[in-house]
Amino acid sequence: MKAVKQLTDRVLMAVLVVCLAAVPGVVSAGSQESVVEQVLKRGVLRVGMSTFVPWAMKDKTGKLIGFEIDVATRLAEDMGVRVEFIPTKWSGIIPALLTGKFDVIIGGMGILPSRNLKVNFSNPYDFTGMSLVANRTKAAGMTGVEAFNQPGVVIAARLGSTAVTAAKRYMPQAEIRMFDDEAQAYQEVINGRVHAVVGSAPTPSFQSLKYPDRLFLPIEGTFTREPIGFAVRKGDVDTLNFFNNWIGYVEAEGWLKERKTYWFETNDWESQIQ
Amino acid sequence: MIGKKKRVGIVDLILLSGIGVAAAWLVYQANQQAQYQWNWQVIPQYLLRFDELSGKWVPGLILEGVLVTLRLSFWATLLALIIGTVMGLFRTGCSRYRRMIGSGYVGVIRNIPVLVWIFIFYYFIGDRLLPALAISRITNTESAALSWVLRSLLAEPAQLPIFISGVVALAVYEGAYITEIIRAGIQSIDNGQWEASSGLGFTRAQQLRHIIFPQALRRIMPPLAGQFISTIKDSSIVSVISIQELTFQGMELMAATFLTFEIWITILALYFVLCLACSLLVERFELTLKKEARPL
Repeated sequence: MKAVKQLTDRVLMAVLVVCLAAVPGVVSAGSQESVVEQVLKRGVLRVGMSTFVPWAMKDKTGKLIGFEIDVATRLAEDMGVRVEFIPTKWSGIIPALLTGKFDVIIGGMGILPSRNLKVNFSNPYDFTGMSLVANRTKAAGMTGVEAFNQPGVVIAARLGSTAVTAAKRYMPQAEIRMFDDEAQAYQEVINGRVHAVVGSAPTPSFQSLKYPDRLFLPIEGTFTREPIGFAVRKGDVDTLNFFNNWIGYVEAEGWLKERKTYWFETNDWESQIQ
Repeated sequence: MIGKKKRVGIVDLILLSGIGVAAAWLVYQANQQAQYQWNWQVIPQYLLRFDELSGKWVPGLILEGVLVTLRLSFWATLLALIIGTVMGLFRTGCSRYRRMIGSGYVGVIRNIPVLVWIFIFYYFIGDRLLPALAISRITNTESAALSWVLRSLLAEPAQLPIFISGVVALAVYEGAYITEIIRAGIQSIDNGQWEASSGLGFTRAQQLRHIIFPQALRRIMPPLAGQFISTIKDSSIVSVISIQELTFQGMELMAATFLTFEIWITILALYFVLCLACSLLVERFELTLKKEARPL
């Protein structure tokens, strides 16, 4: 009996030691192949994205639709592979890319210098801008971005998005409240708990159309212009070159512009969601 | 504990109607303040919808989330029970070495927040261990039968690595609490029981199996049931690592439709139904345990 016990204890100890020893081994075992090569071999392009109307969202049947979804689907089609979307929380999307949960982020990610230090971006395939929507009673009479740059003004934005960066830059004196999802931020302004929401166009104007008696647009159009690119892990020239040239190719074709008009300037797709 | 049936008295009625009025007032106030445009009629299609392609009723987004939550909780609970039982026995064992492993495990896990633990596990530990288990090779299988089994028991092949990360992280976390429940159960049995069974010539394993554990089980059951229900609720936390369970699906849907309140309320109701069903099931089980114990 005692011998058996000693044996099990030894086995346990051995398993523990092997597990610990295996960790650095597995860590360094990452392959040197470029992402494009891996994707072609696997036959699947894994795309990280997050719900952001109208870039990417689920329709009634649970199918993903949106501008980014069209872009990623076409990209995979042109590569001759299947596309697989991995919905990920926006606040954790860069760590997820870096730890290899997917191959590329195609999710309306704005190219920011601070982000660019962590990941590589492709050439911009789209430009977006920040827009502002305010509560009619709470922010009555406030027009222009400057009006919101005052102590006591509360602005809501989505955590980790370029909206936060824009709000901090243009309204440094206002208090910024961050939410994990855009919907929560817009709910705050509808309820009148914050003065305004900073968000990527065209959602602010869509929201003001939906709640005309409670929301208004304090500025015309957008107050920033941001390039949007694919994000990939650093140091992969092969992949970056492929994506850059693919973007150039579909841009020249006029396809990008046509898709952009469909998702951003019409709302023919609205009936697919509700 | 079957008492006499009590009749509902006038005081109870007054109290109940009072609570009802207060609740209605709260709902009315919330409604007034939030000035929210309720839009309940779009919710049912996210629960159940008619698929025109296949001509069948299929679960909508939210119900799919419920199914993932159920699978996640089931596997996490099962794994946690195994971990908890082994560690609980370690903690009450004679070997000092095993007791140290047991208390080390409980000490580490119980003193870190579950949210932080899940992040750490997902980004650092899960990533290193899963490739070693060659899961991606299994998921890329061509066999239709195997992929069907995987899909109905675990998760979509594409989601499998994240799903397993979530299950293991949750199981290791809940396992620490189950360890303590098992330990407390075993230690609550009077020392005389050990001594008497030892005197009868039982080995330690036999003592545990035939004498101690059957008695401990009845004391372990109620807190264990609480822990099971807790696992269902805690499973909502893994939405942060993008497992497509109920909370995650709900939040995605909110981001797409902006129907914040309707969806949160639906999710709340679904969790409540899940946990209530689980509680009732455990209550049943406890009653049968009691009935079996009576003739002894």
